[in-house]
Amino acid sequence: MIGAGVLSATDREPTDGEVVAQILAGDAEAFGIVIRRYEAGLLRYATRMLGHPDAAADAVAEGLVRAYRHLATCRDPGRLKSWLYRIVGNRCRSHLARRSTSDLSLDDAPPLADPQDSEAAAERAEQLAQVERALDRLSPEKREAFLLKHVEGMSYEEMAAVTGERIPTLKMRVHRARAALLEALKEYE
Amino acid sequence: MMHIDPQLQRVLDGELPSDDLTPLQREQSAALQRAARLLAEAPAGSVAARVMAEVRRPPLRLGQRVAQWLTERHAVTFAVRPIWSLALAAALAAIAVIPARGPGPVLGEQEGIAQFVGRFPGARSVEVVGSFTDWRPGAVVLRDDDHDGIWRATVVLPVGEHEYMFVVDGERWVSDPLAGRYVADGFGRENALLFVRPLAR
Amino acid sequence: MTARRLVAFLLAATTPLAAQSGFARLAGRVPPPALSAIDSILVAAHREGLPTEPLIEKAFEGGAKGVAPDKIVLAVSTSAGQLRVARALLRGAGESQPTDPAEVTAVAAALARGLSPELVGQLTAALPGEPTGPALHAVADLVGHRFAEDSSVALIVAAAQSGLRGLRFLDVAAAAVQELQRGRSHATALAHVRSLLPNVPPPPRPAPATVSRARRVQPGPDRP
Repeated sequence: MIGAGVLSATDREPTDGEVVAQILAGDAEAFGIVIRRYEAGLLRYATRMLGHPDAAADAVAEGLVRAYRHLATCRDPGRLKSWLYRIVGNRCRSHLARRSTSDLSLDDAPPLADPQDSEAAAERAEQLAQVERALDRLSPEKREAFLLKHVEGMSYEEMAAVTGERIPTLKMRVHRARAALLEALKEYE
Repeated sequence: MMHIDPQLQRVLDGELPSDDLTPLQREQSAALQRAARLLAEAPAGSVAARVMAEVRRPPLRLGQRVAQWLTERHAVTFAVRPIWSLALAAALAAIAVIPARGPGPVLGEQEGIAQFVGRFPGARSVEVVGSFTDWRPGAVVLRDDDHDGIWRATVVLPVGEHEYMFVVDGERWVSDPLAGRYVADGFGRENALLFVRPLAR
Repeated sequence: MTARRLVAFLLAATTPLAAQSGFARLAGRVPPPALSAIDSILVAAHREGLPTEPLIEKAFEGGAKGVAPDKIVLAVSTSAGQLRVARALLRGAGESQPTDPAEVTAVAAALARGLSPELVGQLTAALPGEPTGPALHAVADLVGHRFAEDSSVALIVAAAQSGLRGLRFLDVAAAAVQELQRGRSHATALAHVRSLLPNVPPPPRPAPATVSRARRVQPGPDRP
């Protein structure tokens, strides 16, 4: 198991601070714990930001490798999550900034829901596709704000640590993102 | 734009209880929560193996890092690449990691070097067309000698600002994804922007 | 005489000499239906004292990319508009007349990258007498990475005040972007780079082996 050596005698899951200390002490395998804890959320966030799972996987992988290499600069290991989301968020913004017109559009990207042979699953996949199209119509800033608040479940303080923006700015973006998303969803009904 | 009542915004922010919402506000809240639940489905797949392979890779010696940098998709030119401030940068000028094959061109004071790198597996030809070719094709042809899908060319260019795109297989115009700096071309696409520095400093 | 040559002859007979050379260069590189309209734009730009070379290059670019004639005309017209705005901004910043064509072109390029005229005016006013192209592109780099516009201008002005010039402004912007990619916030990235001024690291020089591989650009054949 990745990073098993970090578990304490009572098998309590180590805190992020303990894991970071272990990695910085030379236990590279302990970075597997970081990946296990945050990979799913980071992939979900990046996929929703970029609209395609392959680009998202690249952004998350690049971000995690960068995080490993610069782990010593994470000043507060207790806020490792915000730090990782910030790094991956920056990768996503770089990807978005250099996206060419030949890139796959959201309409071409396969839906994330795994299509099974059931009507309920197919309907759910279609609903998800509608929400994804609506989300894609938001500006990257509003999209990110909505995702961090309502999908990643962050507080405004955590969002400020991830984005570097002030809380009043983030609140305004989230409020506008909600309105814009409802507007877009209504058009797809 | 759809209007959301400030009271509902505060409820959604967790600042107020949801007891006193109107039917419309409940409907809007439910729509947003439904959207969030759908978006919260985690995608399949994992990057763990890929990341741990990098983590486990033994640190490269300085010369190996330089060789890797030259062959991987990092840089377009020395003036614009995103990772030039690595610690090895200061030592790079003093190190020749690949034996020089010949004397090379003699550069004037107002000339510099641009290195174009692009990953186009399966392509039959890749070239650069831009302001420095007078937007004529055929002047800067990239090569993929080891057939690994990575095409390269190193070119002497005048110092200053240049715009360009890659042209793949003679017909597909592609913005350089590694350029880091772009400008709308006025035709619906983006040219990469390149700043060439004088080599003789 | 073919229709194309007749059009070329008639236009050449009525076109000022300087613009004639532009028109002669366009023939064969730009679709014929666009020639007359582009020529009109070139003539007007020449009369106004605007640089015409960027407009000719834009037409060549459209021809090379296989763009429809009307869209090439539109792009050339838009570029001419940007040159006009650029010159007005430079004159507003106190540049002596006639304005340097290279400066007009550089400011127009910054406008094409999405910088607002207000931002461009702010920077040109803060750096009087300096070639502004690299400074404008440095600000555009920062704004493209979501640094606040005012802070981006302030950083580049601080860089100029610390003695940096020309392409070194791009190094300042690159350093700030690098800090962002390391996980710093926008504000702390700018503050960190400001604290380094003027000692922002330049990019490394190319290895000798790279230089020895370099080839000069060869003139390419014209393709139909």
